[in-house]
Amino acid sequence: MEGNCVNENDLKKQDPLVVVGCAKGYTKEELLSNLPRHCKFSPSLIKQVKLIPEAIFRNSGTPIAKKINRMMHEMSTEAYRAIQFTRTEINNRGVLFGVVMLKHRVVDRVLIYFHERWPQCIICLYNEQTRETWIIDEKGAIRQYHQPLKKVVENVSKNRQIVPYFEDIQFSGEQIFETLYKSQFIAERENKQYFKKMIPDQCFKLPGMKNGVERHFRNKKLNDFL
Amino acid sequence: MPSILEKIRVLGENSKYDICASTASSRTDKYPKLFGNSKNWVGAAASAGICHSYTPDGRCMSLFKTLYTNKCIYNCKYCFSHTCKHKMSFTPEEYARTFMKLYSMNVVEGVFISSGVCGSADETTEEMLEAIRLLRFKYHFQGYVHFKCLPGVSQYLLREAITLSDRISVNSEASSKDFLSEIAEQKDFNNDIILRQRWLKQIRVKHNLEALKVIKDYKEDNQLKYQEMMIKDRREDGYKKFRWDGAPILNSGQTTQFVVGAAEGETDFDLLKQIDWGYRNIDLRRGYFSSFIPIEGTPLAGQQAASLSREHRLYQSDWLLRIYHFKLKDLKDILTDDGNLPKGDPKIYLAKQYFEGCGPLDPNNASYKDLIRVPGIGPISAKRIINLQSKKFEFKRREDLKAVGVVLKRAAPYLLINGKNQRTLENFTQPLQEENSWREIA
Repeated sequence: MEGNCVNENDLKKQDPLVVVGCAKGYTKEELLSNLPRHCKFSPSLIKQVKLIPEAIFRNSGTPIAKKINRMMHEMSTEAYRAIQFTRTEINNRGVLFGVVMLKHRVVDRVLIYFHERWPQCIICLYNEQTRETWIIDEKGAIRQYHQPLKKVVENVSKNRQIVPYFEDIQFSGEQIFETLYKSQFIAERENKQYFKKMIPDQCFKLPGMKNGVERHFRNKKLNDFL
Repeated sequence: MPSILEKIRVLGENSKYDICASTASSRTDKYPKLFGNSKNWVGAAASAGICHSYTPDGRCMSLFKTLYTNKCIYNCKYCFSHTCKHKMSFTPEEYARTFMKLYSMNVVEGVFISSGVCGSADETTEEMLEAIRLLRFKYHFQGYVHFKCLPGVSQYLLREAITLSDRISVNSEASSKDFLSEIAEQKDFNNDIILRQRWLKQIRVKHNLEALKVIKDYKEDNQLKYQEMMIKDRREDGYKKFRWDGAPILNSGQTTQFVVGAAEGETDFDLLKQIDWGYRNIDLRRGYFSSFIPIEGTPLAGQQAASLSREHRLYQSDWLLRIYHFKLKDLKDILTDDGNLPKGDPKIYLAKQYFEGCGPLDPNNASYKDLIRVPGIGPISAKRIINLQSKKFEFKRREDLKAVGVVLKRAAPYLLINGKNQRTLENFTQPLQEENSWREIA
């Protein structure tokens, strides 16, 4: 961190957090490597970031710092929300697939999350926003296809063997989850405001939303994409 | 024969008052894999936990939380299973398959397995363990498992449960023998609960020491160092300084749960005293409080529900004990005559009492212990201030404090900033405003 190499005489002029080395926000390296993921990224923005000192971004005081930090926040939030709310299915050959709706280029982060959980499976995610299917294989290699999800899933499943313990869980789980979800409700504790706070706005706007929020996070069936 | 859906509906509803807030478990690669190094494993436990859905009351619902069976030999007066006419049980295979299906849908993060006591505690625990064994070794699930220890279970079963789970909890339900016998007369507080909690601690420490011996490249010196660390790594008051993270087994520790307001006459201080004992003696990771809600058909149906704000205040006080290192006797000083916590944030009451004598605090020369007592300053911002003090940085502006994470709205009345103490009219009113946001149950 910058704070370690700061002259003591200049301490008073500096942002205290940078001095201590526990400042909020992102390092310049993080900004430079992650900003291109944002959908509204432009090369001129990177030029600006290179010129401005890190402490200014960390303080979020200037309009440009606010803008950059907001962009970083939007990306990380979108990736995290996708990790939380993407609903997936697995077939008997160990191919896990689901649908995401990502504006920013963060699909690799979501793929890696699923890859860590299902390391021996191939993960296929269809991005509704860009109409592309992304896959990550057992070795962690990421590829992109301009094909519908069903086709990609069929293709990657072709040469894979049936796995007995995945074969075991080939039944519909939607109703099971709905029943479990309903069973946990405690009327005396209902707090709609808090509930709305926890569910991000963009998730309320997902396609096919009707009656209740949970319904909308569930993964679509393959037929829906044909 | 009830269907799976029926079982989930009934057994899920029967377990809804059980609390299991966290799904966090940080295992480290330093130690051998818990369940072998199979290439087929699935699942992972994230150190921060992930919430995949929220119930309409705003709670995160990320665990497959159902009872294993609602058949129970106990007659606890507050319990749901009293009224439930549909008695049913999962089979281990059903339980494991259903969970794996939900896990593959990315709707749950792990398992919370609890149960009524059907036949004997050992018989039921055997079946629950069989379900977890299937998950671990048939379906190769390496994710988060929270196992509920049944009252009176044998030690050999606890030992196995520990090796299969990330977290184990023994529900205390009440703060003492007398209060427990009032609400669950068949349960023996000392034998069924306290003894099991002590066993959990003993088994874990012994197992982890033995596990370290067999870890490759582990030198004897380190073994001794670990033992020393176990003894030294305690605060003056006996609390563990460091968390369980990275331990070979049971890295999310043991927890407990209290039913608040079910036993008549049980005060907040009784509950805090018991939880303080747990932190010092059984290395409790944390305690949960569940407000009592009367259920129709139970012997306590006519009793008044405990308020959610009471539960909230208990959590705030628990946080002060566990994270802020306040002493129990400090909290004792702010209790009302009936032994309960006053309405409002306990930290504000403590600060008013503490700073009444010594006046506002100058952050430029205050100690960590004093800083932590100021509302709006938490352990992280207090450490940052101390760090800056050592680098001879002077806090002269409100912005300086803001930048280190101090919530000035709360902290300003107790601080001297550039020699001045800033107060507003609001600071002279009672610290009860936030109380309005918590609904009281009629």
